Amino acid sequence: MDDIPALRGQEAFLLSPDKELAELLTGLWPVEHMRFTVFERGRRAIEHLFNDPPDLLVVDERLPDIGGPEVASLVKSENVYRQLPVVLVMDREGLDLPRDWEQVEVDDFLVRPLDPKETRARVNLTMLRAMRALDANPLSKLPGNTSILQRIQQCVDSGEDFALAYCDLDYFKSFNDKYGFSRGDEVLMMTARVIVNTIRTFGGVRSFVGHVGGDDFVFIMPPDLVEEACRRVVQSFDSIVPHFYDADDRARGSIVSVDRQGVTRTFPIMAVSIAVVFSTGKRRLSHAGEAASIAMGLKKKAKENPKSCYVLDQRER
Amino acid sequence: MVEQDLKTSVKGQILSIKDLPTLPKVLDEVSRLVQDPNANTDEIAKIISRDQVLSAKVLKMVNSPVYGFPGRIGTVQHALVLLGFNVVRGIIISTSVFEMMVKAMEGLWEHSLGCALAANVVAKHAGLADPEEFSVAGLLHDLGKVVGAVQLPELHEAVAAAVREQDLRWFEAERAVMGFGHDRVNAWLARHWNLPGNIREGMSHHHSPETAQLYPETAAVVHVADFIVRVYEFGTGGDDQAAPLSRKALEVLKLKLPDLDRVLDEFAVQLADVSDLDLA
Repeated sequence: MDDIPALRGQEAFLLSPDKELAELLTGLWPVEHMRFTVFERGRRAIEHLFNDPPDLLVVDERLPDIGGPEVASLVKSENVYRQLPVVLVMDREGLDLPRDWEQVEVDDFLVRPLDPKETRARVNLTMLRAMRALDANPLSKLPGNTSILQRIQQCVDSGEDFALAYCDLDYFKSFNDKYGFSRGDEVLMMTARVIVNTIRTFGGVRSFVGHVGGDDFVFIMPPDLVEEACRRVVQSFDSIVPHFYDADDRARGSIVSVDRQGVTRTFPIMAVSIAVVFSTGKRRLSHAGEAASIAMGLKKKAKENPKSCYVLDQRER
Repeated sequence: MVEQDLKTSVKGQILSIKDLPTLPKVLDEVSRLVQDPNANTDEIAKIISRDQVLSAKVLKMVNSPVYGFPGRIGTVQHALVLLGFNVVRGIIISTSVFEMMVKAMEGLWEHSLGCALAANVVAKHAGLADPEEFSVAGLLHDLGKVVGAVQLPELHEAVAAAVREQDLRWFEAERAVMGFGHDRVNAWLARHWNLPGNIREGMSHHHSPETAQLYPETAAVVHVADFIVRVYEFGTGGDDQAAPLSRKALEVLKLKLPDLDRVLDEFAVQLADVSDLDLA
């Protein structure tokens, strides 16, 4: 059976009076991958759903007390539950009814009779798609926090050697204050592109780029290539970023803006700071949080330098 | 009124360009490079920077709203870093070559490359920052002629006939036939493609540098560069006459005539490097 790491330990609700359906679905995944809670009536499930939302909701149109699409709407109309993937189970005749799919806010549907293999594949896909859509940074579309943590944990668990780089921008806030958010977003899009393409120039290696949010980015590289990658990111960023300033500020090499204390100050052109943590040889990271805390310390060091720079974790490796 | 209608319909045809071909030689060379996993961005950038069509394509792409920073990127080197290898390869493999007019286009390609080199030299002598961006403006300064030849072959032919029969400069013939020149076509293209303002003004004001509003230096540099490359008769802009040199352009760049001599000398050296580069 296909084992998808991202889909371990999932909780699912099935809202259906159909015992056969419940049996089929629960039999499709080992219980440590997907645990189903079955509700034979719809209304009673709503409160559970809102109190303790599962990772997947399967709703049967045969529910006696509430329509499947109505349950879906209840979930999807609230921003805090919107990300929950909803799959509607229909009878073949149900397909003949005219439907406004814009109103029926489900992520996928299944039609009786259910084919077990197809059902499992489609539900897996629906869940992965929902995760990607939820987790992607809305601006850069790069994988976000959940994927980043997952990827770091995978690297840790596999015991492979890797280097983890945390990037952020110096003086990004003052740039945003002076030029506005949309120009700030332009710089973030540029930065994302520089990092992604720089990492990709190292063909044939396992790598990963994620966008934590704002001006924070993460990338994972083999340890022997990471310093060269940092060097190239710094070089490309420094050569491109001046073009995001007005000509007079670029010529001056600085902008005048207001700092966090409300004092008018001069700020240099933005720079990129990179802190690199290794998991190699004797020094192996044990979890994602450890990497982040080591990186925070290094970051301080990198920030002492107003120019773009990278700092490598120098503890004994 | 009739003229206005012609301009509107021509503009529509110009901006609807879907397939802009280039010359085979450069395309072959770049195609080889993008297949080579060891090729680096600098090498690819160097070759693309010699070809006005490929340069225009990468700059158009990187400045499109899809990438999120329209109008910011003005050099091929930066464009390649931001687009990445896959996208650049996509552009290269979808580019076709001219099947007709190859001879005429070769002259225009040489002229455009010569103008890029000259613009670089002029910008350096004028003490301007980022000379590469001036090269790009020089490289693209006659792109409107290429797009015109592709999208409006009848009008292009009428202009060529006017140049031959009435002993006009190409720019004069364009205005006689269509009522406007390739500088206007350049302005449409540059705006439609979100090219940076300095490159846009270099492309659209090189015949009238004194009218450039925001980037008079770029317009002046391209104007002087166009003059220089015609003096050396490297390539052809469609006619064989040198346009008069604008004194205002030299003033904007704070260049005196003796400075121009030094510019010409340095350009001659650089020209020797590229003239054995067979573009066709």
